[in-house]
Amino acid sequence: MPYALTLTHLYPDYLNLYGDTGNLIVLHRRCQWMGIDCTVNTLSMGDVAQAGTTDLYFMGGGQDTDQVAVVNDFHQLKYDAIRADTEAGVVFLGVCGGYQLMGNTFLMGNGEETRGLGIINVNTRAPGTEVKQRCIGNLVAELTPTTYADMQTLYAYPREIPKTLVGFENHSGQTYLGDRVEPLATTIAGFGNNATAEHEGARYKNVFGSYMHGSLLPKNPHFADYLIGLALRRRYPEATITLPALPDTEEWAAHTYAVQRYG
Amino acid sequence: MNQLLLIPIVAFAKLLTLALRASGRGSGTALPGYLVGRYFPFVLEALISQIPTVVAITGTNGKTTSQTMLSAMISQVPGVKVLRNKAGANLSQGILSELLKQSNALGHLDFTHAVLEVEEATLPRIAALLQPSIIAVTNLYRDQLDAYGEIDRTEKLIRDGIAQCPTAAVVVNGDDPRTARLTQGLGNATYFVSLAPEYARFLPYEGKLNPRDVNGQGLEATQIHINEDLTTDFAIQGQMNGGAVQIPQARTVSPGFFHVYNALTAIAIANLLGVDGDTAVTGLKTFKPAFGRGEILVQQQGSKQVNYRLLLVKNPASFSLSLELLRNIPNLKLILAINDNTADGKDVSWLWDSELERLNQANIDWILCTGIRAKDMAVRLKYALDASPGPIPTAESIRQAIDLSFEKAHSGDTVFVLPTYTAMLEFRKLMGKTLDVV
Ligand SMILES: [Zn+2]
Repeated sequence: MPYALTLTHLYPDYLNLYGDTGNLIVLHRRCQWMGIDCTVNTLSMGDVAQAGTTDLYFMGGGQDTDQVAVVNDFHQLKYDAIRADTEAGVVFLGVCGGYQLMGNTFLMGNGEETRGLGIINVNTRAPGTEVKQRCIGNLVAELTPTTYADMQTLYAYPREIPKTLVGFENHSGQTYLGDRVEPLATTIAGFGNNATAEHEGARYKNVFGSYMHGSLLPKNPHFADYLIGLALRRRYPEATITLPALPDTEEWAAHTYAVQRYG
Repeated sequence: MNQLLLIPIVAFAKLLTLALRASGRGSGTALPGYLVGRYFPFVLEALISQIPTVVAITGTNGKTTSQTMLSAMISQVPGVKVLRNKAGANLSQGILSELLKQSNALGHLDFTHAVLEVEEATLPRIAALLQPSIIAVTNLYRDQLDAYGEIDRTEKLIRDGIAQCPTAAVVVNGDDPRTARLTQGLGNATYFVSLAPEYARFLPYEGKLNPRDVNGQGLEATQIHINEDLTTDFAIQGQMNGGAVQIPQARTVSPGFFHVYNALTAIAIANLLGVDGDTAVTGLKTFKPAFGRGEILVQQQGSKQVNYRLLLVKNPASFSLSLELLRNIPNLKLILAINDNTADGKDVSWLWDSELERLNQANIDWILCTGIRAKDMAVRLKYALDASPGPIPTAESIRQAIDLSFEKAHSGDTVFVLPTYTAMLEFRKLMGKTLDVV
């Protein structure tokens, strides 16, 4: 395949807790294995973002003090460009702290609500009395039917892929989805977005948020492929994009084990 | 403080320890210390103040090893009697329990030195009571369970602890940005231990390496050589207390860069305590690695004998460094044993922060993944290795991993085992070793 993709890691030196880099390692390797020419760039503090230069943004979680610095920098140097990109269908994935950060408001460790990046209409609030402690533990969820159906159209040959996503969550903030945002998945085990709603993660256009570490993509190769597929479809609108099915023996073994043990 | 008051309290604590032992409820490590500390808070100070020289060692990794190395060094000096707390008993009640246990019935402590490992968050709580003449901080790493901001808080707590001891000399890791800046703005005499830059760059520190403070005093390890049996040789140069230090050869039997730091920390402290370099190096040779830190277990069946060398992995830093160590091993046989019990960290995300990519420079014979999260480990490996090794074998149980590896290995081979904490305990138990804390 003569395709190429550019991935951009946002603030890798500030937002780097809980194995977030694993998601980029997986996207990069899978592109390599599929013969897609893949470049990974970084955009950090002080860098100015330019619209139309990347196919996929990734952002992980960080420590509170770093997250606040990130929000200020983002609004000064990156908001217009990245917002224009995501509105035009560029893929964006935020995990855990990165997910909370993408929304309109997010929560600091001291319980204070703070302005977020504002690229997806979700709000993260302090837990009320219904939540006793941090939402922490293994998380298993079933993909929303529309996303799952779209995912199945990706491969050159019909491929059996699980409906589930597996990971590990660790957050106290409770995330609520606003207008035009749909859940990424329905919770089977664990909390997900918040203690009452029984759904996990969010999707708006090709902007995705998830509470899953683990890391998220290594044990969910179908979701990794989906992000790659969406990025290719947007970059090459004239082409009919299909992906080869990689063997994924180890990935499915880890996925299935997590579903059976924790689901 | 009236020494007479101590007598009934010490007697009570000793009786309690005996009673706990007799009832089979453990060795009674922490309970006497907990009760006495709670109801008689002055006792810690009354006991510790009898020991002329107190050294407190804290930090994420290497507290126990540095403590053991230092004890081995200063014990070479005639007349020195060292009191140390047990590995892991590093909260205030654990330290108090040890003082109570070591004192005589009258509450007297007959020691010249106390070398204590102190848990990071405990330091500011007891620093003013301990009044250590030396405080050492080995490094500050994030653990895999680190909640947001935890490491920043820990850094601040240690700084608060140091601030309570304005006359204490401070020995810190000069390559770790978090420890190198600990005494900034404080008046404490500070000594930096570091590795020559060509080695320090292998180390997964958080943040950028500070350009070394050229006027800073301390010790630097140069010419580090990891031998095939993983013993590590190095030379030392530096400035301590205004005097030049030159040690052409030192050796640690505990493997790797981490232990070079621990040895440097111990040698720097020993120097401040008036122990010369030769004596320190001799003491270092008598040091034996603690369980899981390079310890070798032997499995024998008939005439076949296979050695298992255990290198505990507890966070991305220690995992990455252990892998760095294995680059020089010919025909590496490797078991990665990953559990996700509470003591290991329930979230295995940290495997992705560990630089498994370092194995691309290793000469691998075979790798086997085991433990509760063997399958996660296999996925991590698959993405780390540039050349596919084919399917990555996993063994469901550690028992199976031992059997399988014993079968695969030839007599006399050494198999390297990188286990998380509970995987290590299980491994040792299956090999007939129980938890015998020093
Ligand atoms: Zn998180």
